Amino acid sequence: MLESFSEGLKNAIRKIIGKSSVDEKAVEEFLKELKVIFLQSDVDVELTNKFIETVRKKVLKEKIPEGLTLKEYLIKVVYDELVSILGKEATDIKGKKIMLVGLFGSGKTTTAGKLAYYLKRRGKVALVGLDYHRPAAPEQLKQIAEKINVKFLIGKDTFEVAKESLEKFKDYDYIIYDTAGRDALDEELANELKKLGEIIKPDEVLLVLPADIGKIARKQAEEFNKLVGITGIIITKMDSSAKGGAAIAACSVTGAKVKFIGVGEKIDAFEKYDPKRFVSRMLGLGDLETLLEKAREVVKPEKVEKIVEGEFTLEDFIEQIESIRNMGPLSNIISMIPGLSLPKDLLKQQEEKMKKWKYMMQSMTPEERKNPEIINESRIRRIAKGSGTREEEVRELLDQYFKMKKLMKSMGGIKGLKRGQLEQLMRQFGLRL
Amino acid sequence: MFDFLKKKLKEVAEKISGKQKEIEEEKEKIVKEPEIVVKEKIEEKIPEIKEEVKEVRKDKSLFFKLKEKIVKKVLEKKLTREDLEPLLENFGVELLEADVAFEVSEKIKNDLIKELEGREIKKGSEKEVVVEAIRKSLSGILDLPKIDLEKEIKNKKPYLIVFFGFNGSGKTTTIAKVANFLAKKGFSCVLAAGDTFRAASIEQIEEHAKKVSLPVIKQKYGADPAAVIFDAKKYAEAKKIDVVLADTAGRSYTNENLMEELKKIVRVNKPDLKVLVIDSLTGNDAINQAKFFNEIGVDAVIFTKLDVNEKGGAILSVSYLLKKPILFVCDGQRYEDIKFFDKEEFLNNLLSF
Repeated sequence: MLESFSEGLKNAIRKIIGKSSVDEKAVEEFLKELKVIFLQSDVDVELTNKFIETVRKKVLKEKIPEGLTLKEYLIKVVYDELVSILGKEATDIKGKKIMLVGLFGSGKTTTAGKLAYYLKRRGKVALVGLDYHRPAAPEQLKQIAEKINVKFLIGKDTFEVAKESLEKFKDYDYIIYDTAGRDALDEELANELKKLGEIIKPDEVLLVLPADIGKIARKQAEEFNKLVGITGIIITKMDSSAKGGAAIAACSVTGAKVKFIGVGEKIDAFEKYDPKRFVSRMLGLGDLETLLEKAREVVKPEKVEKIVEGEFTLEDFIEQIESIRNMGPLSNIISMIPGLSLPKDLLKQQEEKMKKWKYMMQSMTPEERKNPEIINESRIRRIAKGSGTREEEVRELLDQYFKMKKLMKSMGGIKGLKRGQLEQLMRQFGLRL
Repeated sequence: MFDFLKKKLKEVAEKISGKQKEIEEEKEKIVKEPEIVVKEKIEEKIPEIKEEVKEVRKDKSLFFKLKEKIVKKVLEKKLTREDLEPLLENFGVELLEADVAFEVSEKIKNDLIKELEGREIKKGSEKEVVVEAIRKSLSGILDLPKIDLEKEIKNKKPYLIVFFGFNGSGKTTTIAKVANFLAKKGFSCVLAAGDTFRAASIEQIEEHAKKVSLPVIKQKYGADPAAVIFDAKKYAEAKKIDVVLADTAGRSYTNENLMEELKKIVRVNKPDLKVLVIDSLTGNDAINQAKFFNEIGVDAVIFTKLDVNEKGGAILSVSYLLKKPILFVCDGQRYEDIKFFDKEEFLNNLLSF
C-alpha cells in the first residue's frame, strides 16, 4: 500500500521531469506532490510550506537562466534550495573538543566510536564517556575504544570526568565526548548538559539524529541548540527505509549543516555527508546522475570501440557484468534509477547468477572465452564440472552472451548509456524490469 | 502528550462543524425570511432556471411550483460529499504533520465522509457529531485483538517472549520493565542476553537484571543469539521458571542477513510471543518498520518513549497496518514507567478539545 503510494508520487514527478516543457500548471502539480513527499519524509510542515513558496517564487517569477529549460530549472531550484539548508558540501570537523548530543537511542555512543575511528587517521583521538544514566553506557564506550585502539576516559561522575579529560587529553588532537541520551525538554538533563557545555567549552557540538525520527526532531533540535549551541548534525541509521527528512528541520532551526551519515552497524559504516546522494534519496528520486557518472567511469573507451566494431567476446561480456557489479550490489544500482524497484529475491538471484558466471568463465580455455561459438556439448559438460555448476546454467550463460552480443551490435556500442538502454542492458542480464 | 495530533483533529472537527453551522444558518434564514431568500436563491440560479421559467412564465401556478421546489431543496440541504471533500482535502497532509502515515489518514478521511454524508444534524450539536465520527474512525483503527499475558503465562511454562526492533528503539530497557512488571505479579523470570553484537549490550542487560534482581543467561559477544536464548529456555525448564524474556540486537529491517538471523532465533526457539518494540518518536517510517518486521511475525507491539512524544501518530499507523495487540506502552526512565495501553484514555486524550 505504502509502496503503491510512493510509486504514484514517483510517477507524478517522472511525468513532469519527462515533459519537454513545463507549464505553470505542471509546476503547481509538481509542488503539490513535493509537499506530500516532504511531509512523508518527516520534514516539518512549516518548513515545507516555506520551502515550496521559495521554489514557486523562483521558478515562476524569476527569469530562467539562459540555456536551461524550465524543467531543468525546476529540478535545479529544488536541489539548490535543499542543499542550501542541509549543506552544499561536507564540512569538516573544526577544532578539538567534539561533543555529541541527542535523544535516547539515536546512536550517540556508536557514532562516537565511528567518529573516533574516522578521525584516527588524522591524529590522536580520545573518547570520553559522560553518560552515567543508561546502564552499561560507559562499558559500551570502553569496549568500542578498546576495539579501535583509542584512548578513553570513563568514571563515575559526569562533571568530574569532563574536568579530568581536559587535563588528561590536553595534548590530543581530538577529544570526543559521548553524552547521555535525553529529552531536551527534561529539565534535570537539560541543566546537566548546559553545565557540561560550560565545563568543556566544546569546539563542535554535533546533534545525533536517527533517520527515522518524526516531526519531533524540530523541537528537540531547537532545545538542544538553546542549551549548548549545535554546530553540526549527524544522521544515523540511514541503512533503513527511513528518509532522514528531519535533517531539514534540524538544520533550519539550528543553522548547522549535516556533517556525517551513519549507514550501518559496523565501525566504518560512516560517511561524509554527500548533498547529491542525501537529497535524491530524501526525495525518492533515485540517483541517476551518480549512476551515470559511475557508468561512464567503468566503461573503458577502447572497449567501446571494439564493441562497435562488432567484436564482443565472452570476456567483454563478463567484464561488463563485473563493471556493473563494481558499482555496488545490484539493489543499490537499481535504487539509483528513478522509478525502478525490483523484488529483493530477484536481485539476490541475479547476483548469485553473476557469481556463477564468473566461475564458469574461469573454467573455460582462453580459446573458448575468445570464441564462444566453439563451445559444444562436451565442452559444456567439462565447464560445468570444472566450475561446480550445472550444464543448463552454462547454456544459460552462453545464451545470455549471444543475446547481449546481438544487442550490442544493434545499439552501436555502449558509449553514453541512456536510461532506456541501461534498462535494456539490465534486462539482458535476466532482470525483467 | 499527543498535543499536536489533538490539535490537528480539533481543526478538522471545527472545520466540518463550521460547515454544518453554515448550512443551519442558511436554513434558519429561509424560515425567517422565506421570500427574500427564495428570491436570492432564484436569482442565483437564474441561468439554470431560465429555461424552465421560459416555459412557465405566464403560468403563475407552475412558477409557484418551481419556487416550492427550490425552497424544499434548500431546506433539505444536508452535508454532501461535495461539501465534505474540500474540507477534508488537506486532512491527509495535515495528519502527516502528526506522523500519521498517509494511508491511515486516507482511511480516517473516508470514514468521516461515510459517517457524515447525508446526515441531518441538529443545530448546536455539530461539533459533538463530528467528534463522535472521528472517535468512531480512530476507535476502529485501534480495535485491536487483546492479549491476556498473565493467563498465557499461566498456561505455558516456561513462556518465552522474544523482543526485537530497530536500533535504539529501547528493547533492553523495555525488557527490564516488563520483567519487573511480571516479577511483581509473582511470576519468576529469567532474562536472555540475546544481543551479542552491540558493545556492552550484555553488561547493559546484566545491570538492569541486577537492579530488578533477576537472573541473566549470557554467552560471549559474537555468540549465536539463537543459542543464548535456547540456553535460557533450558535453564528455565530446569529451574521451573515461568517466563523467559529474550533480548535481541537492534537491527535494520532492510538488512537481509540480520533478518535471517532473527528468523533463525524464531525457528530454533519457537517463542510464545514475538514482541516488536517501536520508538514512538519514529516518523513516517514506523509503518515500514512494522511491515518489514512483520515478515518475522509480530504477535504484539510495545511503544516506547511516549513521555517525549507529543504526536502519537506512530501508534495509529502501526496499529492500522499490523492489527496486533499493544502489549504495553512505556513513558519514562524508571522501571515503573510501563503500563497497558488504554484505548479509551488515548482517545479521550486526543479528542478532549
